[in-house]
Amino acid sequence: MKKILFIGYSVTLVALTIFSYAFIDQHLLYYASFYSGFAFINRLTTTALYCFFIVLLFIFYFLFIRLLKQKKLSVKDIKVLIGMTCLLLLFSYPAMLSYDIFNYIATAKVLFFYHENPFVIMPIAFLGDPLLAFTHAANKVALYGPVWIVLTGVPYLLGGGNFFLTLMSFKILVVLFYLLTLFVLWQFTKNPSTILLFGLNPLVVLETLTSNHNDIVMMFFTLFAFLLIKQKKYLFAFCFFVLSILIKYATIFLLPVFLFTLWQSYRQKTIDWKKSFFFSTLAMLAIFFLSPLREELYPWYAIWFLPFAFLTEKKILLYFSIAMSFGLLLRYIPFMYLGTYFGPTPLIRIVVTGIPLFIAGLLLLFQHKLLKKR
Amino acid sequence: MKKIVVIALLFLIFFPPHVFAESDYVLPYPSSMPGNKLYLVEQLKDKFMQYWYFGNFGQCVYNLGQADKYLVEAKTLFEYKQYLLANQALQKSDYYFQRAPFFLENARKENKNISVQKTVFHDAARKHIEVLQKAESELPENFIWTPEKSSPTALHIKQIISKSIKIRTQGL
Repeated sequence: MKKILFIGYSVTLVALTIFSYAFIDQHLLYYASFYSGFAFINRLTTTALYCFFIVLLFIFYFLFIRLLKQKKLSVKDIKVLIGMTCLLLLFSYPAMLSYDIFNYIATAKVLFFYHENPFVIMPIAFLGDPLLAFTHAANKVALYGPVWIVLTGVPYLLGGGNFFLTLMSFKILVVLFYLLTLFVLWQFTKNPSTILLFGLNPLVVLETLTSNHNDIVMMFFTLFAFLLIKQKKYLFAFCFFVLSILIKYATIFLLPVFLFTLWQSYRQKTIDWKKSFFFSTLAMLAIFFLSPLREELYPWYAIWFLPFAFLTEKKILLYFSIAMSFGLLLRYIPFMYLGTYFGPTPLIRIVVTGIPLFIAGLLLLFQHKLLKKR
Repeated sequence: MKKIVVIALLFLIFFPPHVFAESDYVLPYPSSMPGNKLYLVEQLKDKFMQYWYFGNFGQCVYNLGQADKYLVEAKTLFEYKQYLLANQALQKSDYYFQRAPFFLENARKENKNISVQKTVFHDAARKHIEVLQKAESELPENFIWTPEKSSPTALHIKQIISKSIKIRTQGL
C-alpha cells in the first residue's frame, strides 16, 4: 500500500510538473519552444485538470497523515517524500499560478546588473530589457524588504546572465529555505506529523516549490529566531527576527509575541511554547486577513500562519489550516476559467474559499457532538 | 503695407520668439520654507537621500527632484517677496538641474536606454521655463534687499531669472 502511494504521489508530481508548462506566457521568449497556449485556449480543460491535481494532492496528503497515525510511515519515509517533492517540482514552470518569480529576478537585475536602487527605480525604466516582456510588476519599485533583495543577489549572480540558470538558482534558493524551515520545525517538536502537515501541505508545496514565493524565507528567519530564544541566544534571536521583518515586513505583527517570549526566557521563566505559537498564529492570521486592505488575499499568504498553526497541535487550528489551504488553492479557479479578475470572479473567490471552511466547521461540530453523546 | 507684412514674417522666421508649449510635467507641492523648524530636518533628509538614490538613473531622478523642489520654493518665496531667499533657492535649483544631464550621459555610456528619462528631463525643462517666464513677467527688474542690522544686497532679479531660463534652455 505504502509503495503504491509513493509511486502514485511521484507520478502526480511529474504530471503536475508537465501540466505547469501549459501556462507558459507567450511573451516568455526563453521558453518559446515550450509555448503551446494550452491554458489560455482550453480554459475549461485547464481548470478541470487543475482541480483534479489539487484534489489528488489533498488525497495523498490525507493518506500520508493516516499512514503516519497508523505508524506505517517512518521519519525516513517522510524525508523521502519531501526530497521527492523538492526534486520533481524543481523542474516545474514557476509562473503557473503567479508571476512573482519574474518580479524577483527583475528587481535583482535592477540592483545587481544595472546598479540602481530597486526601491527608487522600476524595472520598466530599462527599455529594451527582455524581462519586461513577461514581468507583470515591472511598473512597481521593489515590493519586498532589503534583506530579500540582497539575498536574491546570490541566485542572480549564480545565473551568470543566463535566464534558465537564473530561474533555476532562484528555485534552488527557495527550496533550500523550505528545507531549512522543516529542519527548524523538527528542532522544535521532534514530531514527524508537524513536518508532514506543513511540508506536504499542497498549498505550501505549490506556492513554495512551484511558484517559489519568498514567504517561506521570511518564515524560516522567524521560526529560527524563536528557536534561538529556546537556545537562549537572545541577541542572535533578535537579529534573525529583524532579518525576517526585512524580508517581507509581515512578521512585524509577531513583534509583541516575540518580545514577550524573549523577555520571559531572559527572566528564566518557563515558556509555554504551544501558547506562544498559538498567539503567533493569531497574530499572523490578523495580518493575513488584513492583507486585502493593501491588495488582496493571496493564497501564499497562508504560509505566514501555517507553521505556527501546526506547531500548536490544536485540533481546531489543524482543521482550519487544512480547510483554508484547500479553499485558498481554489481561489485560482475563477480566473483560470474566466480569464478575468472582474465580473463574477471576486464573488466566486470568496465562495470557494469559504466552502471548505464551512465544511470543516461542520465536521468539527459533528465530532464534538459525537464525543459528547459518548 | 505688404512690405511690412513680408518683413514681419521674415523677422519671425529668422528670429523666432522663445515660446514654449505648456508642459504636462507636474511640479511638487511646496515643502517647508526657510525659517520653518522642519526646514533643516528636510535638508538633512535630502542629503541622506542623495545616497539612497544611487546609480545614474537614481541620481538623475534625485537631482531633477531637487531642482523641482527648489524651483517651487523659489516661486513661493518670490510670491511672498522674499527675494533674497528666493534667489538662493533658485540657485540651488539651477545647480541640481545642471547635474541631472551629467548622470543621464553616464547612464548612456553604460548602454542604458535613456530615451524616457531624456523626455522627462525635457518636459521638466519646459515646465521650469514656463514657471520662470511667468515669474519674470511679474517681478521687478532690480531689488535692494535691506535686512535688519545688516548691509543691503542689490538683487538683479530679472537677470537672475534670465540666467536660470538660459540654463534650462540649454538642456532642451
